[in-house]
Amino acid sequence: MTLIAGRDLKKTYHLAEQEVAALRGVTLTIAPGEYVAIAGPSGCGKSTLLQLLGGIDTPTSGSVELDGTRIDTLGDRALTELRLRKIGFVFQRFHLLPVLSASENVELPMAEAGMPARVRRARAQELLEYVGLGARARHRATQLSGGEMQRVAIARALANRPSLILADEPTGELDAATGAEILALFRRLNAEGTTLVVVTHDDRLAAEAGRVVRMLDGRIVA
Amino acid sequence: MDLRWSFRNLRRHPLRTVLSIAGIAVASAMLCDMIMLSGGLETSFARLMLLRGYQIRVTPQGTLPLDSEATMPGITMLARAIAADPDVVAVAPVVATSLYGSPTPHSALLTLFGYGIDPANQGLYQLESGADLLPGDSLGVLLGAPAARLMGAAVGDTIALVSQLDPQVAGAAAERRLVVRGMVRWLYDHEGQPSVGTIVPVMQALGGIRQADRASVLMVKARDGADVPAVVARLRGAHPGVEVSGVDDLVRHFRERMVYFRQLALILGTLSLGIATLLIGTLLAITVNERLPEIATLRALGVSRRSVIRDVLIEGAALTMAGGVIGVVLGLGTARVLDRILTSFPGLPAAFSFFVPRPGALAAGLAATLTAGVLAGLYPAWLAARAPIAATLRAEAT
Repeated sequence: MTLIAGRDLKKTYHLAEQEVAALRGVTLTIAPGEYVAIAGPSGCGKSTLLQLLGGIDTPTSGSVELDGTRIDTLGDRALTELRLRKIGFVFQRFHLLPVLSASENVELPMAEAGMPARVRRARAQELLEYVGLGARARHRATQLSGGEMQRVAIARALANRPSLILADEPTGELDAATGAEILALFRRLNAEGTTLVVVTHDDRLAAEAGRVVRMLDGRIVA
Repeated sequence: MDLRWSFRNLRRHPLRTVLSIAGIAVASAMLCDMIMLSGGLETSFARLMLLRGYQIRVTPQGTLPLDSEATMPGITMLARAIAADPDVVAVAPVVATSLYGSPTPHSALLTLFGYGIDPANQGLYQLESGADLLPGDSLGVLLGAPAARLMGAAVGDTIALVSQLDPQVAGAAAERRLVVRGMVRWLYDHEGQPSVGTIVPVMQALGGIRQADRASVLMVKARDGADVPAVVARLRGAHPGVEVSGVDDLVRHFRERMVYFRQLALILGTLSLGIATLLIGTLLAITVNERLPEIATLRALGVSRRSVIRDVLIEGAALTMAGGVIGVVLGLGTARVLDRILTSFPGLPAAFSFFVPRPGALAAGLAATLTAGVLAGLYPAWLAARAPIAATLRAEAT
């Protein structure tokens, strides 16, 4: 059974007058409940692969299917809706809205999905408690530490109960101890059935995953 | 997204927000002043013309009321004929002339402006103290405050009015000693104009042969509910030798004379609207540019382009609304100061206003500013919504 599949994915960027091949024909299939780490040196194309799988960029050629739906051919509106309902993103730099509280940041995707305020408030509280920040719900994003912000970002990614969480260097901005907390959280999430795809060059984080996909120069090498 | 969250974006850079609102407020105040100026002149003029309820003016052919020294002959017959119109309830003759006054028999003569009025039917003044003239009171005089000040006269004092000075004999052909009955406010006088008033025959006598049975203007009051333009048309037809004008006609003449004020108001108003638009556009463009990675993240999380556009537009609208409302208050304040300066120009009635606040016009100005704010936000909003998600996140990561 396949949750998401990228087939013969190629991505070429045009920088000035130069063409840069970020992906040179990558095929990757991920089953529901898997915890996959995509590892490799900087510039090997792992973030690009994650962006194609998450539908925030389109491949130059090849195809991406999520739950049996071709997403690389979808228009912006359908793709946005799909990301809202089925995919959760966690980024290296958290990108929480500084003017909102932790709870409001978590509520944001739910509000966009049209969930009533009372329901989303309760779910945000539940999620913040899940990531260990129940007591910090009313704190502004700017009043949180890096690790706390990343945990709020994870709670935000889980808000609409997505079938897939994509994380791009989620521990990249954190110290070792805080990074370990995030690893533990991912482990727990996966143990409870969440499908995780994590891009990292942190061997410790990669080692946590059930499967490690190694990339080099735009190709999967192991 | 929740609308309240959109507003909170304005709190990110409080100083920037405050300065932007202040800038919009200044531009909006200017727009507000220009709106008051553009329509205020006419409104104020029409209000002034109707102060005592006289809707029609009859003047010498080709002139406007008190526009020149021209007078109309046979005024008794003319007034009687006009009063015979079934819709006319009062006819008030006014003789206007320049004369001289002297507080004591041997003191120097002071230049004054004289009105001859019919106390029973007059639309020229409001009594402030003392008593009004009685019909036929040929010994009484009314003084405006500037004339009273100039002559050092009060109610009950006797003053001398002289006219037709003859330099060869160093004397005046006409002189009257009159008792000050009351102090009045002359409605159409400019600031500091030293005017005095007597009954029509006294002023005509002071004017000598030049003023015999003549008047400068007849103020005509039509009955309530009368079709004033129809009365004007009737009087025009019946009296082709004089100029009959309704307040609307006078306002039109006035508008033609003051067209440059309207043009000035239009240009400055457009400029202030342009400044507000540029200010909001620039601020939103800077804000959006700073927040592109955050916007890309929101888009990645499934926030639609429509939501992004709406947020940026709401931000622009909130800034504009805050600045616009403050601007209206500021505009009303500056209008009072500017009005004081402009109405002190010589030759303008002191009761006249350049800036007249009209709620409808001010609301329209505020709506125009708000529209400008929303329009100014369109381009930054479009930039935010069209930002490529992956490329923006890549640029942020490197």
